[in-house]
Amino acid sequence: MVIALNENTDLAMNVKNLNLWYGKNQALFDVSMPIWRNKITALIGPSGCGKSTLIRAFNRMNDLVDGCRVEGLVEYNGQNIYGPEADVLEVRTQIGMIFQSPNPFPMTIRDNITYGPKIHGIKDQRKLDKIVEESLRKAALWDEVKDRLNTYAMKLSGGQQQRLCIARALSINPDVLLMDEPTSALDPLATKKIEELAVQLAKEYTVVIVTHNMQQAQRIADYTAFMYLGELAEFGETKQIFNDPKNELTKNYVHGVFS
Amino acid sequence: MASSDMAFGFEEVGKTGAGLETPDVKGRSINSRRFNPDTIPKLVLTVTALSAVIVVFFIIVYITSLSLPAFKEIGVWEFITGDRWQPGHGYYGALPLITGTVLVTAGSIMFAVPLGVGAAIYLSEIASERVRNILKPVCEVFAGIPSVVYGFFGMIVLCPFLLDLFPDQLKYSTSWLAGSILLGIMALPTVISVSEDAIRAVPVSYRRASLAMGATGWETTTKVILPAASSGVIAAVILGIGRAMGETMAVIMVSGNSPIIPEPLFNIFSNIRTLTATVALEMPEVVYNGIHYSSLFAVALLLLVSVILVNLTANAIGRRTRRKLGIIKAPKHSLDLKGRILDRIDDETLRAIHRAKPVIRTMLSAAVLFALASMMLSLFMSSNMALLSAGAITAGFVLLSRAMRYVSSTDKQTAAHTSLKLLMVFVLILLAVIIGDILVKGLPAISTDFIFGMPSNSGREGGIWPAITGTLELISFTAVIALPLGIGAGIYLSQYARENKFTRTVRNAVDALNGTPSIVFGLFGMSALVMALGWGYSVIAGSVTLAFMILPVIIKTTEEAVSAVPKSLIEASMAMGSSKWQAIYKVVLPAALGGVITGIILSLGRAAGETAPIMFTAAVAFKSQVSFSLFEPIMALPYHLYFLASEVTGSTANQYGTAVVLLGIVLSMFLVASLVRHHYSKNAKW
Repeated sequence: MVIALNENTDLAMNVKNLNLWYGKNQALFDVSMPIWRNKITALIGPSGCGKSTLIRAFNRMNDLVDGCRVEGLVEYNGQNIYGPEADVLEVRTQIGMIFQSPNPFPMTIRDNITYGPKIHGIKDQRKLDKIVEESLRKAALWDEVKDRLNTYAMKLSGGQQQRLCIARALSINPDVLLMDEPTSALDPLATKKIEELAVQLAKEYTVVIVTHNMQQAQRIADYTAFMYLGELAEFGETKQIFNDPKNELTKNYVHGVFS
Repeated sequence: MASSDMAFGFEEVGKTGAGLETPDVKGRSINSRRFNPDTIPKLVLTVTALSAVIVVFFIIVYITSLSLPAFKEIGVWEFITGDRWQPGHGYYGALPLITGTVLVTAGSIMFAVPLGVGAAIYLSEIASERVRNILKPVCEVFAGIPSVVYGFFGMIVLCPFLLDLFPDQLKYSTSWLAGSILLGIMALPTVISVSEDAIRAVPVSYRRASLAMGATGWETTTKVILPAASSGVIAAVILGIGRAMGETMAVIMVSGNSPIIPEPLFNIFSNIRTLTATVALEMPEVVYNGIHYSSLFAVALLLLVSVILVNLTANAIGRRTRRKLGIIKAPKHSLDLKGRILDRIDDETLRAIHRAKPVIRTMLSAAVLFALASMMLSLFMSSNMALLSAGAITAGFVLLSRAMRYVSSTDKQTAAHTSLKLLMVFVLILLAVIIGDILVKGLPAISTDFIFGMPSNSGREGGIWPAITGTLELISFTAVIALPLGIGAGIYLSQYARENKFTRTVRNAVDALNGTPSIVFGLFGMSALVMALGWGYSVIAGSVTLAFMILPVIIKTTEEAVSAVPKSLIEASMAMGSSKWQAIYKVVLPAALGGVITGIILSLGRAAGETAPIMFTAAVAFKSQVSFSLFEPIMALPYHLYFLASEVTGSTANQYGTAVVLLGIVLSMFLVASLVRHHYSKNAKW
């Protein structure tokens, strides 16, 4: 499949020469890659390769880590999210995140969804009701929970909790969705649902997903980046990465020589 | 490529998210830098943490500087080793006081360790889940009883009982023995709960591994679980020691307070006086800024330093347990002297050591038993008879321990379980006797006239209304002062503090303040607030003193409750563009509310029952009317009880009535706290 892409309109984010340090340890080395709009980009690589660090650099979640320092550019719509003018709260509003294990707030299902809109100033109850329904529908959870919106989120199953977290992220209508190993804590059935959901969401959002599971990347990703020891070893269309890797390391990894 | 088949009920939605009612901000420029909404909350929280540190350092510096004149005039060495404490005659030798504190503490530990550790083993290893869930809160009631109520019980029940038991040995009804028994009971809750936590922290896999090799439950407990938990249990005992050392009211009321060194040193029937008692008894009599005044600060400093050292030791040992169990990491350059020495010894010697170990252990315990038994027995009989009987007892013990090897391991288990069960029953009986005596004799004294009436005839008649309102007034103002500071500092430590020097200083300061005996706060409050600032005996002076005392508890419980909320919730909130403070305020604090409220109620309950910090800052024996002014002295329940019990003969009925009301207020606060904890623990699962 060949996709013609226009750099100006189809580029959601662009990473240029990104270096990142935790204290004295450098975790990312000179990473450059595009994130194409309305596509799914997968980050793969062995444990400790920096893929989680990289995805957390995409919406400045690494700011929360003491002693974390960044050089280089991460552009969103052509604006550097690390620039002096950039507002980190606005960055995270546009670029949302789903985490490794489901982390619903200890509140009701409804309150989980209305949390974000309320933070951003929406008070009208009817609007909030509508957001709750839309977000849960988009996350394919509505039919399962519509009759118990006021029960505690902790009562849901793991897979449902993760879809609730996706709905929560969608509630503020972000542009890009970052998913950091969203299925690593789930069973195969729940994993399948999340994968199908990611594909569905890519129609409307730009999705970046970190995964440990190469089959998952092959099943859902349009583009795949292979990370190794903090460097971007190879980036390309998923088919090419898995069928015709240019880099020796990529070849060994996707063929299971090491993991 | 990616398929988009509608596998299950997806709603088809438009490309732009039409219908979603969020303001259309998608793709909005991110370059709209606003004022960082986190700045102000962070600043406020930092200031609260800073003021908590300032309070601690101010108290320590204040006490040290006021004790300097005494040290200069008397000399440090002379002060510590002088064996006469007679300020009226110019003798300031603190040795009798130090001896008194050491002896009464040592005695209390002989009492608290077997009972406390035994009860902890019973609760964690033998009791069923259901029994433990009932008994654990029951044991915590011990911690809720105010020290003045213990003292009252000691005066009115324990001392007469001991006098009946040892009529020939006791010269007075008060004694070191009575003080030790009472302090031992008071140290029980600390020893029980900290040891139980340590034992339960041992991974269940250890137990399974041992049982899977055919060991009995009891063998597993003694050979695997307890050795693994040993440093935690030792830490518990040391914390109990710290608690007993700093205790004031109970000791004053039962141990006689003569500043003498017992003759002979192990004469448990002698009167003694502790460091804490000295400060409490002499503070009202001293000349402001004189040498006697300064010497009391020197006594307080001595107390403060020893209690802090004791608590630091307990913390260090507690950390060792967690390292041993792999809960926290060992430092890189750990010494492991034992391992190094054992590595150098050749196998032959090692085998000899292993063979000798049980023999040496038996001989050591026999020697200790012999020494203790002969000392105690010599108080009852001639020294030759005492040595003989002690020898007989020791021989019996050695024979019994040798005979144990012929008992089957299941029989041993049965015997051990039965004795621990009996021990637990004894602890419960103790509690029932204390609470029961006060309820049975106190409830008949309760009437509307007693609750709402004014005291008359020096408190022998009439009611305690001004004392009730006074106590409520005191804890309300204490809450007003301590809560903002404590909660703010707790949140700061948990969420904003980086691991740097400032944070470590705050933590150490909080720990230091946490162990400080309440009488030291009383001394500080009297000198700094009542005298130097000129507030006089007043609600405000008492509340500030109490607030300083409970500040560390509030800081610690807030920090623990807030830290228990997973970091991932903050990340989830911030990933939606909330500020850190919004995440804390709207997600973390509601989730931590149960723990924070529990900590607040418990510490206010403690403040309500304290006597030492208010007896020189706020409380007076009588007030003719109820008034609400920050700058007037008040009556308070704990001080009223102390005053009636120690000064007003013939007021027994009203003493019991006051004790019941005080106990009722404090224990109902504890009950509310545990209900709150229970209520919140149902929803907080992660």
